[in-house]
Amino acid sequence: MLFRLAWATLSRHRSRTLLAMLGVAVSAAMLLDMVMLSSGMRASFKDLLLSRGFQLRLAPKGTLPFDTDATIGDASDIVRVLRSIDGVTTISPVLGGQLHVVRGDRTVTATALGVIPAAQGDYEITQGRTPAAPNELVASDDFLAASGAKLGDTLVAAAGYDPQLRSFTGRRTLTLVGRAHFLYMSAEQKSVALPLETLQAMQGAASRDRVSLFMVRAAPSANVDSVLKRIETAVPRVTAISTETAMRQVDERLSYFRQLALILGAVSLAVGFLLVTTLVTVSVNERLGEIIVMRAIGVAKQRVVLQIVLEGIAIMIVGAVAGLGLGLVTARYLNSILASFPGLPAAIDFFLFEPRDAWTALGLLTGAGILAGIYPSWRGASLPIAITLREEAVG
Amino acid sequence: MHLVLLAAAVLQTIDSISPHRPPRTVAIDERLAADAHIAVGDRIVLTRAPGGAGDTVIVSGLVARRADPSEVARAEYRVRMHLDELQALTDYGDRVDRFAIATRGGAAATDSAMRQINAAAFGFQAYRSRDIAVETSRTFLVVSRFHRAIGVITIVASAIFLLCIMLLKVDERRRDVAALRLLGISAGSIVRSVMIEAALVAVVGSGVGVAIGWLTSLFINWHYRSVYRTPLAFSVVTPGIVLLAVSLSLALGLVAGFVAAQRLVRMPALRLLTGRTA
Repeated sequence: MLFRLAWATLSRHRSRTLLAMLGVAVSAAMLLDMVMLSSGMRASFKDLLLSRGFQLRLAPKGTLPFDTDATIGDASDIVRVLRSIDGVTTISPVLGGQLHVVRGDRTVTATALGVIPAAQGDYEITQGRTPAAPNELVASDDFLAASGAKLGDTLVAAAGYDPQLRSFTGRRTLTLVGRAHFLYMSAEQKSVALPLETLQAMQGAASRDRVSLFMVRAAPSANVDSVLKRIETAVPRVTAISTETAMRQVDERLSYFRQLALILGAVSLAVGFLLVTTLVTVSVNERLGEIIVMRAIGVAKQRVVLQIVLEGIAIMIVGAVAGLGLGLVTARYLNSILASFPGLPAAIDFFLFEPRDAWTALGLLTGAGILAGIYPSWRGASLPIAITLREEAVG
Repeated sequence: MHLVLLAAAVLQTIDSISPHRPPRTVAIDERLAADAHIAVGDRIVLTRAPGGAGDTVIVSGLVARRADPSEVARAEYRVRMHLDELQALTDYGDRVDRFAIATRGGAAATDSAMRQINAAAFGFQAYRSRDIAVETSRTFLVVSRFHRAIGVITIVASAIFLLCIMLLKVDERRRDVAALRLLGISAGSIVRSVMIEAALVAVVGSGVGVAIGWLTSLFINWHYRSVYRTPLAFSVVTPGIVLLAVSLSLALGLVAGFVAAQRLVRMPALRLLTGRTA
C-alpha cells in the first residue's frame, strides 16, 4: 500500500520526477566515477606490482626504481649476498638504458632492459620465445611497428651515442626472437629486453657489473617485512621497497586525484541530496491537505513519514541505477584521458570498476535519499491537524 | 750552517702540507633545510654515495622552490653547487648535461643561434626553451583535459539541477499563475515575469556560487601548496571563468524558466487551480 501511494504521487508529476531522476543519475554517475577513481589506481597499481610475484624492489640508496639514472655497483656480489638471505627465492637484476636500432637510413630508439630472461618480471612473451643466447632480444609491439622488424630478423643495435664523433657506441648484432608485453612501460613506449650481460657490455665500462634495480621474490611462507629488514641490513647500499612502501609512494604522488575524487564525490552526493530534498519539500508543501487528512483519519505519523521517505528513496534508487551505467561510460572516457599520462605504465587504470564501488555509490545515494525525505516529511506530518485543515480549506 | 738546515727543514715541511682550501659554498632547497634542520652558515658534508668520502661545504643560501608545474610531484631535495665542484665530486670530468643560452635580438637571433649550434661539429642539439616546456608540460595537458571533462559533466549536472529547481519553483506558483490568467494577464506577460524571476535566481545563485568558488579556491591553494610545498597556484578564479559561470547560469536559468512557464500557460487556468499538473 505504502509503495503504491508513493508511486502514485511520483507518477502524478511525471516531468519533475523524471527530471529529478535524471539529476540523480548524473550525480550517481559522478559519484561512482569518483569512488572508482579514489580506489582504482591504487588497486590497479598493486595488481601491477604483484603481477609477477616480486614483492620487493631494491633501488640505489635513497631513490625509487628508475626514478633517477643512478645504478647499483658490484651487482654480482649483491646477488650472492641476497641468495644467502633466508626467505629470498628469486632475484631479478635489471639494468635500464636505451637501444638505438639502425633500420636502413633511420634509427629507432627504444627503452632497453637488461634482464636475466629466466628470472625476469618485466615482460610477458606474447609471440616467439624468450632470449636464450646473449645476442637475442625481445621487443614490444610499438617497437616492432616503429622499426618494421619481424621475428627472426637480425638487428644492428647500439647502446650509446658519442656526440663528439657523431657515431654509435656499443654496437652489436642482435636477433629478434620474441614479441613481448612490457608490464611497466607506458603506452606507445618502444621497448626491448635483452640479456643483462649483453646490455652491460654494450654500455661499456660505466655499466660493468651495475644494475638499476633488483626485483626480489620472497618465499610464500616468509614474512616480507622480515625479509626486507634482513636485506637492508645485509646490503646497506640499497633501498629496499616493499609493495606497501611503493603503494605509499604512489599514494603520495597521486594524492591529488584521491583528494579530487573525495571532493567531487562529496559534491555529487550533496547535489543529489539537495535535489531530492527540494523535490520532497515542494511535494510535501503541495500535499499538506492530503497529509493532514490522512493524519485526521487516524493514519500514524510514522506511516505518513515513511510514505514520503519512500518517494525520496525511489527517486534515488532509480536515478542511481541509471547513473551507474552512465558512470561506467564516463569512467571509460575519463580513464582514456588519464591513460595518456607521460611515463605511466599502460596497465594502470585510474578508474577500476569493482562491484564494491557500485554498492558504495548506491548505498550512499540511498542513505542520502532517506535523509532527504525525513525532515520535510516529519515537518509536514507534525503540523497541527485542526489548524492546517482549516488553512487548507480556506486556502 | 744549522740555521740554513733548519730553514730548509721548515720549508720542506710547509711544502709537504697540502694547500689549505677554504670550504666551498652551496645553496640548498628550503625544504631540505626545514626537514634536516640546516641553517645558513652550517657546514655539511656532500658525498657521492651514502657513507662515502665527501667534501665539507658551507650552506650560503636557501633556494625557494619555483612555481613550476613540472616539479610539483617531485619530492626530491636539490642542492645548488659550483659546477667544478659537482664535476669533481661525481667524477664527471669536464662534462655538462646541458647549456642554457640567452640570445639578444629576438626570435631571428635565436633561430640563427640554433642553426649555428646545430651545424657546429660538436654533436650538440639546440632546442628552444619553449619546445622543452611544451614537452615537460604534457602531464599538465592531460590533467587539463581531465579537468575539462569533469567540468562538462558538472555543467550537465548543474543544468539538470537548475531546470528541476525552476520547474518546481514555477510549479509551486501555479495558483498565482491561474489567478493572473483569470484576471486577463496575457500568457506572454506571465512567461516574461517567470523568466525575469528565473534570471534573478540564476544571477543571485551565480553570485553566491562565485563567492563559494573563490573561497574554495583559496582553500585549495592553501591546502595543495602545503601538501606539495610549492608556491604554485592550483586554482585561479579569473574574470573569464566568472563571466562564463554567470553567463552559463543565466542562459540555463532563462531556458529553464521559459520551459517551466510555457508548461503552465498552456494549461487551462481552472486546471491549474485544481493543482493537477504533469
